[in-house]
Amino acid sequence: MSGDLEQPGPAQEQTSKIRIQFITRDTDHELPAEASAPILVATKFRRYALSTLINTLLDTPTPVPFEFLILGQFLRTSIEDFLTANGISAETTLTVEYVRALIPPLHVASFEHDSWVSAIDVLSGSSPASIWTNNSPGVPSGQEKILSGSDDGLLRIWNMSSEVEAISSVSHNNHITNAKFLSPTRVVSASFDRTIRLWKYESMPDFGPTSTLTPSVELYGHKASVDSIAVHAPSSRLLSASQDHTVGIWSSKKTDAPPAPQSLLPSSSNKRRKLNPNPNSVSQRGSLALMTGHTASVTSVSFAPNDPTVAYSSSLDHTLRTWDLATRTLVDTRTTAHALSCLTPLQDLGLVATGTDARSIILIDPRASATAVSALTLRGHTGTVWALSTDPSSAYGLASGALDSTVRIWDVRAARPGSGGIGAPEVECVYTIERESGRGRKKPVRGDEVKVFGIVWDGEVGVVSAGSDKRVQVNRSPQGVRDS
Amino acid sequence: MQGSQGRKRKLILREAPTIEQNPTEEDEFQSGLLDGILSQSESENDDDDNDESLDDENSEDQLDEEEEDELDSDEIPSEDEGESDSHQPTNGIGARKMAKEKHKSTLETDSATTQELGLDDRTDGSRRFDEGANYIITQDANGNERYIYRSIDPVYDSDDSDAPDNGNTIGNISLSFYDSYPHIGYDINGKKIQRPAKGEALDALLDSIDIPKGWTGLTDPATGKPLELNNEELEVLKKLTRNEVPVDGYDPYPEMIEYFTGKTEIMPLSAAPEPKRRFVPSKHEAKRVMKMVKAIREGRIQPYKAPTDEEQPETKGYDLWADEAPRPDHPMNIPAPKLSPPGYEESYHPPPEYLPDKAERAAWEAQDEEDREREYLPTDHDALRKVPGYDTFVKERFERCLDLYLAPRVRRSKLNIDPEALLPKLPSPDELRPFPTVCSVLFKGHKGGVRSVAIDPSGLFLASGGDDGAVMIWELRSGRQLYTVNIADEPVNVVKWRPSKDTMVLSAAAGEAIYLLAPFSIMSPEVENLSREVLDAGWGYAATSSTNGTSSVQKEPAAKWSRPESKLLDQGVLVKISVRAPVKAIDWHRRGDYFSTVSPKGQSSAVAIHTLSKHLTQLPFRRLKGLAQTAQFHPSKPIFFVATQHTIRSYDLSRQELIKILQPGARWISSFDVHPGGDNLIVGSYDRRLLWHDLDLSTRPYKTLRYHKKAIRAVKYHHGGLPLFADASDDGTVQIFHGKVVEDMMENATIVPLKVLKGHKVTDKSLGVFDVDWHPREPWCVSAGADGTCRLWC
Repeated sequence: MSGDLEQPGPAQEQTSKIRIQFITRDTDHELPAEASAPILVATKFRRYALSTLINTLLDTPTPVPFEFLILGQFLRTSIEDFLTANGISAETTLTVEYVRALIPPLHVASFEHDSWVSAIDVLSGSSPASIWTNNSPGVPSGQEKILSGSDDGLLRIWNMSSEVEAISSVSHNNHITNAKFLSPTRVVSASFDRTIRLWKYESMPDFGPTSTLTPSVELYGHKASVDSIAVHAPSSRLLSASQDHTVGIWSSKKTDAPPAPQSLLPSSSNKRRKLNPNPNSVSQRGSLALMTGHTASVTSVSFAPNDPTVAYSSSLDHTLRTWDLATRTLVDTRTTAHALSCLTPLQDLGLVATGTDARSIILIDPRASATAVSALTLRGHTGTVWALSTDPSSAYGLASGALDSTVRIWDVRAARPGSGGIGAPEVECVYTIERESGRGRKKPVRGDEVKVFGIVWDGEVGVVSAGSDKRVQVNRSPQGVRDS
Repeated sequence: MQGSQGRKRKLILREAPTIEQNPTEEDEFQSGLLDGILSQSESENDDDDNDESLDDENSEDQLDEEEEDELDSDEIPSEDEGESDSHQPTNGIGARKMAKEKHKSTLETDSATTQELGLDDRTDGSRRFDEGANYIITQDANGNERYIYRSIDPVYDSDDSDAPDNGNTIGNISLSFYDSYPHIGYDINGKKIQRPAKGEALDALLDSIDIPKGWTGLTDPATGKPLELNNEELEVLKKLTRNEVPVDGYDPYPEMIEYFTGKTEIMPLSAAPEPKRRFVPSKHEAKRVMKMVKAIREGRIQPYKAPTDEEQPETKGYDLWADEAPRPDHPMNIPAPKLSPPGYEESYHPPPEYLPDKAERAAWEAQDEEDREREYLPTDHDALRKVPGYDTFVKERFERCLDLYLAPRVRRSKLNIDPEALLPKLPSPDELRPFPTVCSVLFKGHKGGVRSVAIDPSGLFLASGGDDGAVMIWELRSGRQLYTVNIADEPVNVVKWRPSKDTMVLSAAAGEAIYLLAPFSIMSPEVENLSREVLDAGWGYAATSSTNGTSSVQKEPAAKWSRPESKLLDQGVLVKISVRAPVKAIDWHRRGDYFSTVSPKGQSSAVAIHTLSKHLTQLPFRRLKGLAQTAQFHPSKPIFFVATQHTIRSYDLSRQELIKILQPGARWISSFDVHPGGDNLIVGSYDRRLLWHDLDLSTRPYKTLRYHKKAIRAVKYHHGGLPLFADASDDGTVQIFHGKVVEDMMENATIVPLKVLKGHKVTDKSLGVFDVDWHPREPWCVSAGADGTCRLWC
């Protein structure tokens, strides 16, 4: 049939066209009503030509790069090649979704540490910590801070010029698993030593660029390593996920917190404690509640984005559980097929993205009414997915760090039906960010790759990831700052 | 000739009295023309050879008789004499001596007569003997020469069957009539034919040992002797059995002698005149002719008419399938294969794309005629009239017919066995997910190989023991090294966690010492206290119990429980148990109070069971057959398994008796593991085999899996509910199997090989993977390699 079409002379071939219906889920860039009808487009067009076309139709003041999704795939070739590759007739009306292009994030900087870095957070103008503190002046551009917690038990705060602004005055007894900015002046960290610590970060402009990071409160309660924390500054609540199968609720205010359980305080017989310079200078507090329900180590916890009284937690017992923080009860349990290692809620989609030990990311609908547990599967990683972060500028973007030395950027709109029509639709990653430390070296054997333990995707700073190559790596799209 | 001469002499001597009666014989004797006699006597000798024993027995009697009537018996005694002398020198010697003496007496008389005879000869004088002539010239009464011709010697052949001399004369009656007599009949001379000796036992045995030539095994009914056949007789018999004429030279189809011929003889045999009928017309023929005439008149017979050209019958072919109606498909009726209709290529003017180019044409021509895909090349002709005759038309048609004719139009029920179908129905590995597939985390840190790995009961930590004497604890999922202690200078052979969730106690064995560790740096204070309590509970117990009197009986305690040095103590190594021989295997009882150790080299103390709460070590086996390799507790019952090199024995601990001896058939068992259900067992052996035992079925393996190229070091079931097991081999691979055990006793376990996990490097000493352990819940396994790494596979 196609042969018949090719038969006519070259004059017609040049102007081979296809009817395209452009749609978008992006409200900012909806086509005007008069342009929403299907448009005849030459099949030899590529992404750039189509992007120019959309820009013309939208009449944007500055050109906005667009990507085009056809049947869940990004257009990487000409339309004609795409049609032949996918066996689509050129006579049908093609529905093409245009999305704002993700510019491939490029390596900006690497902050070197002495040991593995697991915990990472960013303080910038668009980060939650600065948004929650509305009254403060905010973080001006260029003054962003990066918080890192490494295996030597120390927290470090870096500025954007790769300088350590502050190192925690005391160290955790074991490696730090997670750290977060509570506000531009407060930091919370969780460690393998079963404690959560609140730190006071004071920049002293009088004494130059150096600033201090001093402990304010030590939170005891977990009987095993605290693997993850979540913070919600407005309600001054902390959530923690621990290997002792519990989810802890803590108050970030010293006055609210109950006293620490004596049995969990480090015994005086422990030599390590003796070595600690000032063990009793920091006030010790306990948890508001420890919610039990998980049957295995809880790997990650998060507040629901729209409701700070709801929390999600993921665990190695294959479940994602929803908790009601007001009553401190378990609301719902979603069981998957794999051990879950991390989670991050996708606010606009109402889904929770969870990384699994089976090298995939599953988007779970946490609502009790949802019929299918898994809404989407994101495949591509070759190692356990250890950390997740959402795109600050798009509801559909996701970044994941895994033990295969990569950070991958996903767009959940590029979803195709699952393999063999079974299971949830699958998504392939858009970009893969390799570790800078591994550049130019021989590819390590499976299992020996750099492990990416922490990732934050910030609107200002970009994709910040930390891993077992003892570095914090910052990647940013060239245009970086979005116009919104 | 000597023998014959001697015999001749005797003959002369004995037959002397007969000479007077038969003077010519003497001449013959003297002239030495004894051929005939000798031959005859020989022939008789030949006959007698057959039954020598008979001769011997008879000889005496016959000799006696001979004495009595010498004149009558002219031949037989001489034969007997000669025979017995020449052939049977030993038998009946005494009797023969007597006979000889008797002969001597006759000899004297005989010699007298010969002397007389000699005188006679001399008186004759004129007798001349011409050696060459067949006559003697004497003088007759008239003084003329008289030729006396010698009698012609007929020279009978020895096998002259016309006159069998020794024939039995009793006629055609059964020999059974003579059963009661010592003889079996009478010969031509009326003498009794003695019954042949019915084979003494020795003779029979001798006969059976060397069968004489011509032995048939039959008995001659006429003589009662064993029937022997010579070659000629055999030949005759053969010919008879073949329905041939037994006589040589017999022509079954002789030339026909025509006594009556159609030829007119000059001298006819019959002189009868020609009969009249030869001249009279035949009435019979007239009748027949009239019949024909009548038929012609009636028109029943048409006159012959030469066939014209048009009417000549066409020699047309028979169209076999002209009226072939389509019939339902049936095995016995297969329609002839139809030729496919001609295509473009066969057109005289095919489209250009069908025309072969040069290369195709060359290829076609180079091909063997048989191999060509089609037997023509598409050729282009402008017009139909330019198409030449198809040169191979006849050949092609012929071959087509040949094909149709020769093709066996029988639907053969071919036995279509799909080789795949013969394989046992195994589910595909994809259906059996989850199972470990890729290396997820690599644990690097040990110097030298890692001997043993163990995942703690909570599934969060991994303990490993290596050649460098270090015990390390890692965070399983991230690969973070959490704890390291160098417990010994010797390699740490085995590490095992105590199976309890509220404490964290690790046991490790290096050399002759077993260490119990509580790595408190990774524990919460609560767990730490509990662990310390558990480990320290037994201090003093052993001491007090030993002072209570057992110390006098027991010379040397089986093991010494002590505190390690303070450096280790600070790192959480709380107990050191010294035993007599290097420990290679540790297994904890499920309750966590007992653990067994195996030290293959300690003979009587090879297997020890330690009680943690009492710090007590017991040696359950005084003497163990074979070298103990490893031991394990049953997961639910009080049963203890001990593996020696070749067998696995299970003992009931409560009743203290041997339950079963499993014989995997392996040359050297390296390790085994009991299924969490308790009814199955896998055994790994150094001779590369993995054996699955069903304890309910038999003492022999239910299944043998040979997938490794080198020795299997470790085998392990998944103890967390997943139907998986793994083995680790020196070829650097870990193999994952699906092994589902069903509660149903009737159903056997399903074993499917799932995955070969490659990654560990094989060291120079060709050591690969030492140990493997499963995560308590997840389908993850950890392997310890000789390359100094541990790997988490998930």
